[in-house]
Amino acid sequence: MATRTPTPYPRHRSRKWFLTRWPYQRFMLRELSAVFVAAYMVVLLVLVTQVHNGQHSVRSFENTLKSPGLLIFTSVALIFALLHTITWFQAVPKALPLRRGENKVPPGLLIGAHYVAMLALSAIILIIVLV
Amino acid sequence: MRRSNEPLFWSLFSAGGMLAALLAPVLIIVIGFLVAANDVTFARLHAIVTNPVGRVVLFAIASLTFFHWAHRFRHVLIDVGLRRFSLALAVACYLAALAGTVWAALVAFT
Amino acid sequence: MTATAITKAAAITRAALLGTITLEVARYLPDEDERPYFQSYDVPFHDDWVVLDALNYLKDEVDSTLSYRWSCRMGVCGSCGAMVNDVPVLTCATFLRDYLPGPIRIEPLANFPVERDLVIVLDDFMEKLTTTKPWIIRETEQPLDQGEYLQTPAQLAEFKQFSMCINCMLCYAACPVYQNHEEFLGPAVLALAQRYNHDSRDEGNAERNDLVWLDDGVWDCTFVGECSAVCPKGVDPAGAIQQAKLESTLGWYRSFLTPFGRR
Repeated sequence: MATRTPTPYPRHRSRKWFLTRWPYQRFMLRELSAVFVAAYMVVLLVLVTQVHNGQHSVRSFENTLKSPGLLIFTSVALIFALLHTITWFQAVPKALPLRRGENKVPPGLLIGAHYVAMLALSAIILIIVLV
Repeated sequence: MRRSNEPLFWSLFSAGGMLAALLAPVLIIVIGFLVAANDVTFARLHAIVTNPVGRVVLFAIASLTFFHWAHRFRHVLIDVGLRRFSLALAVACYLAALAGTVWAALVAFT
Repeated sequence: MTATAITKAAAITRAALLGTITLEVARYLPDEDERPYFQSYDVPFHDDWVVLDALNYLKDEVDSTLSYRWSCRMGVCGSCGAMVNDVPVLTCATFLRDYLPGPIRIEPLANFPVERDLVIVLDDFMEKLTTTKPWIIRETEQPLDQGEYLQTPAQLAEFKQFSMCINCMLCYAACPVYQNHEEFLGPAVLALAQRYNHDSRDEGNAERNDLVWLDDGVWDCTFVGECSAVCPKGVDPAGAIQQAKLESTLGWYRSFLTPFGRR
């Protein structure tokens, strides 16, 4: 028994779509990683400023970095930085599908090459800084 | 023919993303753990930040990471429902990245 | 045996003993209801039944007023898309046994208006489908006496993956950008555009990209990636869009080098 003009039920948008399922939550964490990485570049610039100001300033900044708050922030930032690295490298073969003839270059190869580059650069930087 | 200006910001986003993916973990370890533990000599730090290549690398990674953040953050805010403020968000985020770039230049090159 | 295997076996045993599984199906009659509601049905549990089998059983034996789309029942026609426990799937490819002990929630495909029960209004998708000119565009057709256009396996490989789309719209149901911004062309339409852009017989890239390279084309996409995750045919529309973004970016820079020439 009809009681109203037949209307399609309108499509609904959810304000909290990113909380509904794990893939969306994972996406949000990935996007959030950029905040922590950028925040640490601020720390980098502050360190460089202190280096220009002299040994005393660097010592004092090192003490700040040693504080529990900063150590926690560093640990969290490192986790997010690694999340960024892992998800970024996974995305590269999607944007750059390489092919030899009709065969796709295995994405794992491209991703692996990026990890090799990352580890090599990391080693170089550690050597520059410590040795 | 209409054209989007997104490619410019996406290029900066991509460059920053790649640099950050390669270098951010080791930089965080160096600064947040090694420097914090006094494991890096002042002389070495000074040598790095006064070296011409060092200055360029420090500037590049800071600036491009700021633009990476700006583009990503702006789009996330759009995705969570702030699309009607799209223009204001773009201006705010990219201006912040630009300010960060200017700061990075001052820090790295003076 | 792992804990999950044991739980699964127990659930299957329980269903076999009880013989039924509960489906909570979204109902909406456009001339009667203000909003959709759930109706609970118990259907026989068969180890080899898919959700579509259960729906057909319901319509045949229990409630003939239930409406839903289906056709080939083998995952090639793209008709039977629905949300099963909040995930867009083809009901013909979704086994009851994977949802034990139930209940299973079945709703119409997200991000589309609901016509009735599980039937969605797909006008928006149909309109968008033709906007990117998904056909071979050429300046001149090769004369018939020159025979067919030849393509090497390598040339076919450039676009074949993107040609596998069955227009099932699961990707639109999974895309949060499309959910919040209906003007977004969407994963399938953009993947289809790339299918023709990468086809060696086609010369229509510039025409297509006048739409694809715009904000409501690829640039709305934030690479959530769920479209590719739910695609039943492995089209990887997310990949197609990221490739298009790269092409758009290169085209953008190129346009400054040749300001008076067509990209």
